Amino acid sequence: MVVLNFTLTPEAASKVHDLLVCLGKFSDTVAIEARRDRFTFTALNSSKSAYAALTLDAKQFFTRYECVPSHGGSDGRFTCSMYTKALLSVFKSRLHDPLGRDGAIDRCEVSVQDRADETQCRFIIKMVCNQGVVKTYKLTYEAVDVMHALFDRNVAKNRWSMQAGAMKEYIEYFGTKTEMLDIFAGEDGRAVFKSYTEKVSNGKEVLKHPLVTAVAVNTSDFEEFDVQPGLHIIISVKDFKAIVVHADTMKTSIKAYYSHPTRPLQFSYGSGGLVCEFTLMTSGDYNATAFAPTPTPQVTGRSMSRTHSSATNDHRGMPPPVEPASRRSSRRELGTSKKASPPKPQPDSESLFVPDEESRWEPANYENEEEMLGWDASADRDAGNFPTFRDTGSFSRADDGSASQGQSESMEGIAASQHVSQVQGLGLW
Amino acid sequence: MRFKASIQNITTFTKLTASLNSLGPLAWVKLSDDQVGFTIIPEQGTQVWASKDSIFETYTVQSAANNVINLEVPLGPLNRALRSALNATSAQIRLTKRDNMPLLALTIVTTSSSNSYSAFPAGASNDDEFGPAFDDDFDGGNRETIITQEVPVRVLGPDTVAGLHEPQTREPDVHIILPPLMQLKSISDRFTKLALTGAREGSTTRTRIDMSANMHGCLKMSIKTDAMSISSVWTDLSNPDLDPNHMAGGEIGLAEHPSTRMRLLGSADGRSEEGWASVRIDAKDWGKVMSVGRLGGRVIACFCHEHALILYVYLPSDGLEDESVLTYYVSSYSA
Repeated sequence: MVVLNFTLTPEAASKVHDLLVCLGKFSDTVAIEARRDRFTFTALNSSKSAYAALTLDAKQFFTRYECVPSHGGSDGRFTCSMYTKALLSVFKSRLHDPLGRDGAIDRCEVSVQDRADETQCRFIIKMVCNQGVVKTYKLTYEAVDVMHALFDRNVAKNRWSMQAGAMKEYIEYFGTKTEMLDIFAGEDGRAVFKSYTEKVSNGKEVLKHPLVTAVAVNTSDFEEFDVQPGLHIIISVKDFKAIVVHADTMKTSIKAYYSHPTRPLQFSYGSGGLVCEFTLMTSGDYNATAFAPTPTPQVTGRSMSRTHSSATNDHRGMPPPVEPASRRSSRRELGTSKKASPPKPQPDSESLFVPDEESRWEPANYENEEEMLGWDASADRDAGNFPTFRDTGSFSRADDGSASQGQSESMEGIAASQHVSQVQGLGLW
Repeated sequence: MRFKASIQNITTFTKLTASLNSLGPLAWVKLSDDQVGFTIIPEQGTQVWASKDSIFETYTVQSAANNVINLEVPLGPLNRALRSALNATSAQIRLTKRDNMPLLALTIVTTSSSNSYSAFPAGASNDDEFGPAFDDDFDGGNRETIITQEVPVRVLGPDTVAGLHEPQTREPDVHIILPPLMQLKSISDRFTKLALTGAREGSTTRTRIDMSANMHGCLKMSIKTDAMSISSVWTDLSNPDLDPNHMAGGEIGLAEHPSTRMRLLGSADGRSEEGWASVRIDAKDWGKVMSVGRLGGRVIACFCHEHALILYVYLPSDGLEDESVLTYYVSSYSA
């Protein structure tokens, strides 16, 4: 039996919202690891090339925090996994509103009901609003073992740090459909962030090639810049954007640590009892012709050492260099051999270019049902035209493909308290 | 083949590319000594022919074909690239190659002064003397960033574009200055929505807007479906006088011009059945055309009865000299 209770201020609850939005860009599920002194959200993306660990400090982040794991003594922990979307539908935006408008809360109380004598195990979140309204959410969770990526900062000699606000300006210049980000330390006192995409075919297709954007920044604009000149390191631009946007909500600066291409890179930032660490796989100099694509998709799974977290403390050294030199080829392989999470078409919400009055000049979109006139009361309308929530079937199946495949081997011992697919009544997705 | 210029009017250029992009994803851009031509010829719908002489300055264009360069440019990426230059201190564009692929490279210099950064210097103490602290602020407040945006393009040979000509139309029956486009657009969008709501049950008929105008300052926009007929009439618009000096045949040409005859018919209250020149245009296509309103130009519509609607969009120019003009050729449908 585990005891886990904590209380959040509105500000902290809204920080939980922000971090869940960020983690949602990496994975459909977040894992939770609660210890006596800290509470950690982790996420691993489906291609296992990006790992996030966001740690909330028991004393600083919470107004009250109590965690007594069922076993393991002072080093014990309670772990589980939940759908990011489910948590996000509870930790909505605008939980913290100084003016106390709609959605604002007074405090948030969370407890876990995980007892043998209870029929249901639930993650219970109480949002205590103004005027004495209490909203109680009971979420299902799955007991899983949590994996951690190892990263040894002693080996990562290249480091820089910069205000997230400045970096957010840079990512706003990037084109919308690019895939890669090359961070280059020039020899002329400049660092270059370049977003680009691998070539598509020739001919007419050339014009569909996304924009290549290079942002050259004086290294003096960094708070710290200590990188081997001439070094290129390549990560996913989507991951980078997610991290920068989240760091910007915390008004902090981002630190990067890396050694050399094909070895992991870590971004780290934090304030107010929240420490965020993202460990990303990298690839090398995209211009170098030296490396031949060697498709070895099976090894990428090892890029995150699947180590029980209790072992992390005394473990030294970085995981073996497993990512093939050409990350792109392995990515493509992954895309076909494993079920990658389906790309969600999103409006470019992080855009610098707020939809001001310019948008009024766009041709009207008559397909948009919400905009339509009328009060269609006929029973025979085409339901497909209306946005509806998916039922759980397809959703959980997609997840089975990748996430639980990797997790299944480490799940022995604790059975899932309840399959998410058995729960239909919550209406969360 | 060389092309290099600094962009003078980034805002106008950005809005122009956005307007053109709503009609078609690719533009034929003709760079010549004295001006830049933008042409959109979609497979279906409205063609645009535009020429602009005030976008670029310090302009070099050189090619083996009479110093004319023809390019096919994707407007979406170009617009995106230009938007990152909206707050730039300078912006340059040039034609270049990388890995043998031609591209338009924009080099944008911005000095960012938005400072989450220097406003709250992390850990810096303000107890120091003024001197160094002031220097720090100064450096932090002027971060110069250079952004390079590379837009892929295709170079078109002279023979490829030789067959492309601006459409020829007969003399218009009615010419009229349109009311503010935002007003026109919101009404036509609303009409189109209504028509689509009525037509939703399974019919695939295209929605057409009937547009008519007379030489007495009236413009009528109407839409008819099985279920309804709505129309909106503007009066007191202006029919600009034609300049005989610019007419073929001078005064005689003017006297014989179709619009002179049309001026004899109809009335200024728009109630008369006579004197209207009408076109039937596609409603969705019209919505795309209206996107040009963001440029804030004055628009003269020329109606060739049951044939075509030609819009001349005169862009406001900060200079005194000739205005730039965009010409939209909107087809009239028989049904």
